[in-house]
Amino acid sequence: MEKNELIEKINEVLAEEFEIEVADITPEANIKETLQLDSLSLVDMVALIESEFGVKIKSSELINIQTFAALYDFVNDNQK
Amino acid sequence: MNEPILTGEGLYKLIPQRPPIVMVDSFFEADAESATTGLTILPNNIFCLDGQLQEPGLIEHVAQSAAAFAGYAPYTRGESPKLGFIGEVKKFKIMRLPEVNEQLVTTLKVLGEAAGVTLISAQTNAGEETVATCQMKIFIKE
Repeated sequence: MEKNELIEKINEVLAEEFEIEVADITPEANIKETLQLDSLSLVDMVALIESEFGVKIKSSELINIQTFAALYDFVNDNQK
Repeated sequence: MNEPILTGEGLYKLIPQRPPIVMVDSFFEADAESATTGLTILPNNIFCLDGQLQEPGLIEHVAQSAAAFAGYAPYTRGESPKLGFIGEVKKFKIMRLPEVNEQLVTTLKVLGEAAGVTLISAQTNAGEETVATCQMKIFIKE
């Protein structure tokens, strides 16, 4: 999957799961704030990324994924 | 189905519940990402009514299956199970209430982990038939 296509798909599945508008997602926006994730719901995003894109995010890696841009890069770099 | 790794009182090494509220009687297999448990519904099961296991009994069975899954890794290392909490139960679907004397087999799978919270899926079968599915979030106190 090309990166632009990947970004579009990531935004689409996150917006649907967390019931926000795709337009609310920008590369530099903070993921937790935008998706309104707390300590219990963060795992929903991790599970969604793994099920949709086959990319597992370890807790140690999650610390460095604060923005959507960082998420796009991580998924793009780790896609099989 | 393989022979269980643990049965009956052997399960007490994995879960804190004790009779009459023990709702898992077999632990068949486990690895880092999945586990399989079982329960034969006896006529004296406290969650049974009119010969059927009621909804709270199914939920308790899945919750104790998840507890057993969480407790298995410490058990293999010779450690006591850690205290765990269910943070959320979601997407619980019950297709039908199981009957007395049926054997439930529940398969648990890890869907993701973050910030100390593990999201698992559970599918409970009676024979070939799926009777319930759900997702649970578990938090283990370190």
